[in-house]
Amino acid sequence: MATMEMIHRPAASADYSRPSRYRTAGFLLGFMGLGLALATLVANVIAAGGIGENPDNVRETLAWSFGVTTTAFAMLKFGIATVLMGVLIRAWMRVEATKVALPQLKADGAAFPTSDYRSPFGAATATDTAPPPLMIHRIAPKAWGPAVAMGLMLVMAGLVLSFIRVGETDLSVGGTFSDLGAWVQGLQFLGEAMLLGGITFLLGSILGTLRNGGGEVQESMGLTVKTLKMPLSAKLFMALMMVGIAQFVLYIVATGVDDPAAWYAWLGPFRELSLGLLLMSIVLALYTIGTVLGFQFNRMREIVTEGS
Amino acid sequence: MATSATSADFEIVTSDRSLGRNMPQQIGRKLWLPMWLMAGMAFAVGFGLAVVRAGETADGGAADTIMALRHSVAGFMFIGFASVFAAISFAIARILGEFRAGGGELQEATGRHVRTLKMPITAKLFIITMAMAMMAIIATVVLHFVFAADVTNTAASLETAEQRFVVLEGVRRIGVAVYLVSFLLGLGTIIEVLRFQAIRIRELAGEAVAS
Repeated sequence: MATMEMIHRPAASADYSRPSRYRTAGFLLGFMGLGLALATLVANVIAAGGIGENPDNVRETLAWSFGVTTTAFAMLKFGIATVLMGVLIRAWMRVEATKVALPQLKADGAAFPTSDYRSPFGAATATDTAPPPLMIHRIAPKAWGPAVAMGLMLVMAGLVLSFIRVGETDLSVGGTFSDLGAWVQGLQFLGEAMLLGGITFLLGSILGTLRNGGGEVQESMGLTVKTLKMPLSAKLFMALMMVGIAQFVLYIVATGVDDPAAWYAWLGPFRELSLGLLLMSIVLALYTIGTVLGFQFNRMREIVTEGS
Repeated sequence: MATSATSADFEIVTSDRSLGRNMPQQIGRKLWLPMWLMAGMAFAVGFGLAVVRAGETADGGAADTIMALRHSVAGFMFIGFASVFAAISFAIARILGEFRAGGGELQEATGRHVRTLKMPITAKLFIITMAMAMMAIIATVVLHFVFAADVTNTAASLETAEQRFVVLEGVRRIGVAVYLVSFLLGLGTIIEVLRFQAIRIRELAGEAVAS
């Protein structure tokens, strides 16, 4: 049932009053990830004490603790993705609840004329029928699952390589230890980027559900369908998301250059910059969700008080 | 369908008018953008310094300069992360504010009593964990800058700087992990609010208009 709910809209008869299992599962994953991250903090502190005295131990500890930490973050992000799946399902249930209740609360009033107009929440359009889904809203529901799954697999592959790296004895510049380090970072940060990409697609899916559901409710009541046009924040969200995902290619290039140390000096911050851009895109997606919700509550009040 | 829960099963406040946004939600509305902009600026500065450090490394620059830059880059990057994470938290609070104010205003518009969910425990923990995470990251940022200024070109100083970097890295990671937990709690609160509102809107239809 849970798997089906991850993919399909719940039935109109689904129990909307039951607490969400996705919420519970997401919290569990998150707290497990936090525990794993705490374990690597202890490892880092112990390793720091050995710098200058036991360099082999420091090198080995940092090699595996990096892999484990990134895995901990991946678990936390998977937990966030799981909670967002729960939000998506509840957003569908909200559509069903509104379809049932709003016709009984509607006031009598004349139809609103169809045209583009300026709402308190930005440019909007009024049409006779619900507008078709935007392209991003068609792509996002299909893309988040593969992105999250690939992200998890890549992080796990990097984790395995980080343990293999611990036993490597070729420590020369550009040697196996160095190359494996690049692969671990490349795989795990690509995995993290994919997970964040999955989260952004989930947010896009939620936005799509709000837009399509809003149109569906209004159309089912025979009302003029008012829809918010895509806000600037949503366009910026998509642009930043794409830039943020592009970083991983450079890690693969770094494994083939003569002087990888100079590359890693700026690739680390570039990776962080890319993750930062993805996080900035998530802020914009959340902001857009808030704006769409404001528009929808305003529209529901109009229906209740004016009936148009 | 075995629906048994009602809005009375939640901890709620009943009133005649919408309660509007609470203080954290008002703060979220105002601060998400400044935090977002600050994150963009800090990431740009951090990345610029990282490119300078890469140049120093490639040219065989002084070890103390490279180590000081390493601390400074981490400092600026994590000003960026602290800011963008704060922006995410504020954006989540803003969403919760839309639900609270919008849900209340809709109930008020129908003429029924306004039932508003009291702040759930997950929302309180969301605020607490966010504050803890921000303090942890800001503390490491300050220490990175202090340690960057403290590096000299001696073996002992460089070794100490390396040790400090490794420890701060661990603390930063915990800060990020706690921030991610706070997002989980905030988003989990949204699920609970959606559940409450799905129940409440169905109740409205069968409820008498308040006199």
